[in-house]
Order: sequence, then C-alpha cells, then structure tokens
Amino acid sequence: MSYTNEQVAHLVEGTLDWETTFRMLSMPKDTSRFAQYLDALQAKVTFTDKIVLPLGPHLYIVQKADTKKWVTQCDCGHVFADYRENWKLHAAVYVRDTEEAMVEVYPKLMAPDTQWQVYREYYCPTCGAMHDVEAPTPWYPVVHDFEPDIEAFYRDWVNLPVPERA
Amino acid sequence: MVRRPGSGAEAEKKQPNVEETVGHQDIPVQVMGIDAGGTMTDTFFVRADGRFVVGKAQSNPGDESLAIYNSSVDALAHWRREVDDVYPELVTCVYSGTAMLNRILMRKGLNVGLICNKGFEQLHSMGRALQSYLGYALEDRIHLNTHRYDEPLVPVSRTRGVTERTDVQGKVVIPLREDEVRQAVRDLVALESQAIVICLLQSHKNASSEQHARDIVKDELEAMGVSLPVFASVDYYPSRKESHRMNTTILEAYGAEPSRQTLKKVSDRFKKHGGKFDLRVMATHGGTISWKAKELARTIVSGPIGGVIGSKLLGEALGDENIACSDIGGTSFDVALITKGSFAIKSDPDMARLVLSLPLVAMDSVGAGAGSFVRLDPYSKSIKLGPDSAGYRVGTCWADSGLDTVSVSDCHVVLGYLNPNNFLGGAIKLDVERARRHIKEQIADPLGLSVEDAAAGVIELLDLTLSEYLRANISAKGYNPADFTCFSYGGAGPVHTYGYTEGVGFKDVVVPAWAAGFSAFGCACADFEYRYDKSVDLGLPQFAGDDQKAAACATLQEAWGDLAVKVIDEFVNNGFKPEDVLLIPGYKMQYMGQLNDLEITSPVTTAATAADWDKIVEAFETTYGRVYASSARSPELGFSITGAILRGTVATQKPVLPEDPDAGPVPPESARLGSRPFYRHKRWVDATVWKMEALKAGNHIVGPAIIESDATTFVVPDGFETTIDKHRLFHLKEVK
Repeated sequence: MSYTNEQVAHLVEGTLDWETTFRMLSMPKDTSRFAQYLDALQAKVTFTDKIVLPLGPHLYIVQKADTKKWVTQCDCGHVFADYRENWKLHAAVYVRDTEEAMVEVYPKLMAPDTQWQVYREYYCPTCGAMHDVEAPTPWYPVVHDFEPDIEAFYRDWVNLPVPERA
Repeated sequence: MVRRPGSGAEAEKKQPNVEETVGHQDIPVQVMGIDAGGTMTDTFFVRADGRFVVGKAQSNPGDESLAIYNSSVDALAHWRREVDDVYPELVTCVYSGTAMLNRILMRKGLNVGLICNKGFEQLHSMGRALQSYLGYALEDRIHLNTHRYDEPLVPVSRTRGVTERTDVQGKVVIPLREDEVRQAVRDLVALESQAIVICLLQSHKNASSEQHARDIVKDELEAMGVSLPVFASVDYYPSRKESHRMNTTILEAYGAEPSRQTLKKVSDRFKKHGGKFDLRVMATHGGTISWKAKELARTIVSGPIGGVIGSKLLGEALGDENIACSDIGGTSFDVALITKGSFAIKSDPDMARLVLSLPLVAMDSVGAGAGSFVRLDPYSKSIKLGPDSAGYRVGTCWADSGLDTVSVSDCHVVLGYLNPNNFLGGAIKLDVERARRHIKEQIADPLGLSVEDAAAGVIELLDLTLSEYLRANISAKGYNPADFTCFSYGGAGPVHTYGYTEGVGFKDVVVPAWAAGFSAFGCACADFEYRYDKSVDLGLPQFAGDDQKAAACATLQEAWGDLAVKVIDEFVNNGFKPEDVLLIPGYKMQYMGQLNDLEITSPVTTAATAADWDKIVEAFETTYGRVYASSARSPELGFSITGAILRGTVATQKPVLPEDPDAGPVPPESARLGSRPFYRHKRWVDATVWKMEALKAGNHIVGPAIIESDATTFVVPDGFETTIDKHRLFHLKEVK
C-alpha cells in the first residue's frame, strides 16, 4: 500500500477523503509515509531549515541550514533552544490560576478549582502561536514532554539516513 | 410474433454455447428474477418446463431499467428469443437491487423535516454508538480511531421538538402542545422540507399523542396550502426502541419515494415491451411486495435474501428441511440457516450503518470473498485477506484492471482453477504471467516459497477461514452439521465449495448449475407476501387464571386486527380481493425476564379463549425446546408476548424445477472440453475440463475435474466426486 504525495499533503491539511483516511487507519503503515509526511510539512513552512521531526502542529525539530545544529523551532522561524532542552523554558507563558481567567475558557462552575489545578499556556514569543497547554497542580514543575531518540527512530523504525548534526 | 428464423439443430452447430433446447420456442417463459447489483445486473428466466437461462449486463445507476433490459437480451439470446416476445409471456417478475441502499449510503434522498419530543432533538444525529462501527471488520471495530458517525439523514437544523410526554406504561403525562406542533410545521416548511416525519417517545405503547400530532401537522399543512407527505412512526413501524423506530420512519420518508420512481421506470419499460405482469420487489422479511406498497424502506436490502428463499424452495423439492445456505461473492461470504424448513427473522437489524426496526432474514457475513486482496503483514509476515477487494476488477491478472495488489482470483488463475480465456464467458482475458509475477514479488519471495505454494497457501487460508466460519455458525446455534445440507451458490461459490465444506461433515453438499444467478432465482421463488409487526407487552404467570388468559388473547387479537387492516389494504391496492388473501398470524414470545424472544407462527388463527392461550404457549415451548434444549425450558418464569406479527400472501407463479431424464453415470463425450494442469497439495495434476451445460442428469464425475460454464466454474479436486441430478443440481462428495 502506498499513497501519493498529494494524498499525504491532504492528510496533513485534514482534507483527505474519508475512504482513503479509513484505509490508512486500518492497513499496516505504508513504508514511505514518514518521508512523504516530512515533505508535505516542509512544503508548508517558510523557513529553509530541514525538518527532522515534527513536535506539534506548528512546532518542529529542525536542522539549521547554516550550522547543521538541531534546534526546536516554530512555524515562524523562531528558535526556542537546542532540541535536547525543554523548549517550554524559552516560551512565553500564561498561567490561568484565578477563577476570572478560568471562566474565559469554561462556563462558571465547570472549570477546575485553581487551588488544585491551573492551566499553563505556552506561546511563541515572536508570532504568538500557542504550542502547548499543561493542566498540572499549581506547584508542579514545567513538564518536559519527551526526549525523542531521533537516531534510533531514523535508523531502526523508518529506515532513513539520519540527517547530519553539528 | 416475429421470431428469428433458423432451426435449433443448425444453430447448435454454429454456436456450441447455445443451450441444446434451442428450437423449443413454443414453451412459454413464465418467471423472471432480477438481481440488480452494484456492478452487474443479473436476470434469470424460467420456462414452463423448468429450463432456465441467466443473463448478465453492466449495471447502470443512471437508469436501472436499461441494465435490466440489456441483461434480459443477454439471457434470452441463449434461447434465441427476443425481449418483445418474451416479456408479454411472463406471469411474474421479481426485482431485487441495491439502488435504495446506495441512495441512503450516498445521502441522496429527500429533505426530511423531523418532529420529536422537546429535548430529544439531537437523538437522531447522535444515533446509537454502535452505528459508528457498523459494517466494519473486527480489526477495525476494536480500533477506535476508525470509528466514525455518518452524516445524519435529517440535520438538527430541520428537527423541531414539541412538548409532550408519554411514559413507559403508555400513560400520557404531559399532553401535546398543539401550538408548538403548528409552529414546527411552519418552520419545517420554511426550511424547504419535502416530507415530515413524526416520532414521539413510547408511541408504540400509546399512539394517541403521535396520531394527534400527525392530524395537526396535516391540518396545518392544508391551512398553509402545502402538500407534503407526512410519516408518523406509529403508522409505519409501531415497535419499541426509539432509535430504531425513528431511523426506520425517517428512512421511509428519505429514500422510499425516490426508489419508487426508479421502480416505476423499470415497470414502465416492461410495459413498453409488452409486459403484462405487476412488478414485485424483494423485501427484507423474505417475501415480495408491490412497488406500489406503502412501506418501501424494507426493500433496502434484498439481493442476498433471494438466495435463502431459493434454498428454501430447493430444500422443499429435495426433502431437506435443514439447510446451510452459503453465498460467496467477490467481497463477502454470507451464511444463513434454514431449520425445520424455516429461516430465522431478525427484528432489529442494522443496514446502511443504521439500526432499524424491520424484519430481516437473519444472515451472517464475513468480509472474505473470491476477490479479496491478499497482502503480507509487514511485521508478522502473515498472509492477510481483505477486508477490501478487487470487486469487478478481478485482480492483477486482468491487465486493464489498473490493480497491482494480488487478489484471491489471481491465485486461482495461477493454479489452474480458473480458465484465463473463459472468464465471464471469455468477456475478459486474464494474463496468467502478470498474476504470477505479482504473486512472486508480493507473497512468494518474501515468504521464501514457490509461486504455486504461496498461491495454494492463500487458497487454503481462505477455505479454512470460510469453513471455520460456517462450522461456527452452525455449532454456535446448537446444531450439528451432520443434520444439514449445504447449498453453495454465488458467482464464485462453486470454485470454493469443496474447500469450505471439506471435513465439516455435511449430510450433502449441493451446487445448483445456476449458482451465478441463484439470488435472482430465489427472488422469483418468493411469495407475494406482506408482513407487518407491532410491539405488544403481555406477561402471564405459568398458571394464570382463565380470565387472564382470555384477556391476553384479546390484546393479541386486537393487535392482529390492526395489522390485518394494513396487510389487506396493501393487497387491495394491487387489485386483489380481501378474500383472496391468506392471513398468517404470528407472535414473538419469551420466558418472562429472559432477553431473547422467539418468533412463532401461531397455531390458532384467532385468539380468544384460555384454550387458545394454552396452544400459543405450547407452540412456543416446542420451538424453544428445539432451538435450545428441552431441559432449558423454564415455564415457571411465566410467559411474555413482545410482538404481534401478521403475514398475508396471495398465490403466485413460482419457477418450476427442471426434471431431466436420467442419462446414466457416463458423461457424454461432447461435454469434454479437454484438460488443464491444476495445482493442489503440492503437486500438479491434469484436471478434466467439462462443459456444464452439456452434462446430463445422472452423470458422475470423479475429480480432479473442472466443470465450466460462462458465469461460473465448479471445481472438483482429487478426493472428491460429483453427480448431477434431474433438477440440474450437483451433489459434491468426499471420496473416502
């Protein structure tokens, strides 16, 4: 089973017809999907740095075109940090820890008690895109979501050469 | 009447494919069955002497009547007859097709407006959770990501709630607010509704509020000077289960009228060519109804049912009352059981991914068929069949198919089961080398097998899947395969018959010579029968007083009375007199507190006295003992009647089975077409190839042999033998 680049681009946009989407979901994954997925993402972004791994709808680990360094970067080109660091520590943060802030997103009495739970929203300092929301107890440290073993993923899972890294 | 010149004898010499009975043009053609499928439209004609022909043509969704005409031309060419001569001779014609189903699946019905209880406006859109995975293969059912809710038939924007409430006992606790109904009608008309459906809670228990709403709707429409059809659920499907009742009533409004137009077009074309018969349509309950019938939603699924009805008729002719019906098509394998001469009815089936309250001939399906795609799981390296299939594109062996994934048919072609030059009578030429190459690349090489062994492995896997499924279906219901005769049909059935019946231990295995047109044949066998159902709630202890029994009988009789009016109305619409109609009452009964009811044909024609009640109970207990076990009977729980059923039939012409004289066990030399290498059990053997049409009653053939006709191939491998009987049925046996 394989798909065209156009189909994968539609998948990324959320505009792929249901019949094809259903087939993708129920069949074993097509071997070339990850490479096609990266191509579709690369075509969408304005920067020239090579995408190594997508982390979210607008967030990527990229290989900088000039230095070959791997960094976590926003759609708009804003660089957060080295890819091994927690990018959230370099983001703009908005914490909803009062009832007034909570009723902006949930009806009154249907939001958590902020003594027990707060929302921490992480934004790109350059373009303002929201990249993540955490819902921890108020004292909890910033969550480091995951540290992907990119080399192993490329080598053992998708059978692609690992991009160069400075 | 103009007939083609030329004697039969001459024609036979020039055209060996034409059936030997050419020339008997004075024998009238009486019965026509139509199976208008998604890809092919099959027609089946039966003469007064029981001889039959099968015709095939490409389906035409734009104008079904044209595909039926083309298919008829194809069929009648075997007899050198013309449509214009034959249509006027026909006395009966039954249609079954997928047009209505497709209309629902493609969401191409009318703009329906819905009136329901206030607060329940979202009920139809939400649907039942299982509707999100109905029709899925098991792997997808348990894979939540694939679950998906279809577009509702009626959007919330065209739904209006009205204040009303009837409780579960049928007591009106909040009366209907009339002004809200009137406002709802005005809204729905403004929204350009083309039909209005009314479905209120518990209306099967107490119809008064819903009927009241219906009258107000009609009154308001009249006052507005608007003419729209109005469908109240109580008038159509007065059964419990709100989602089912609502879906079914909506389906009626949404899809039935457009389907009626399709059927009218078909009927008109018959009339144009001289047809004098009244077109009937196969319905889900296993009977046929007129295309003018009030309830057409029940024609939504009809094709596969035909085979079950045909099996029942054949079973009666052969004296077999327990039959396992197996139909193998391109995408699926359908199994139905006939026990003690009757098939089971499911009262709340699902169709087109909707739960419905329609009586449906019970059938089980597995998504593996003759056209299923074959793939290797990239991780486990195991062979996977389907769930998708090549369908009409056959497989990679057909170069024009545009396919490059191997299908089961490719394996058959490579192993010599199918004749690459005679697929669909030679209409399609198959490329064996192309299939070999794809099997080698995709299956054989990755597994380190030869092409033959890889292909044979695929066939074995399919056969095993099907036979396990068949066996499980019989034993799970508490029966023993040794008590059953297996009927095998469908275009691809006879290729697989030996494979999925081997070792199951059936009493007999029967392959009709007309396997490819069997569903169409079965439709022509069905009674002209209306069936209506109504939910009732009756509960009586084991030792009830005579008064209680008589009261229960009165309630049941009242329900039958309501249904009789509907049934007789339908026949009167078709020009029958009420006294011509044979009414067959039935009921659904269970031990009180148990979950499953059984459908029983009533031993009494009217129910009034305590003695009647006792007979009703006795008939239930006998059936219960047969279906489960005598020792499982639990009369101490008391008895519930959950539904009243009424069937009404009138006499119709049915196909006559052929009765051929016994020509002895040795097949005529003219039937021998040659031989073909055939691979099974790790070796190539030479299989004798026979022409199915040229074989005579009584002929005995020992495998390895392949019996070919235009529309089907019957495989008899080594270790099997077959005899053709006077009805042109092949009986397949394992040689011990």
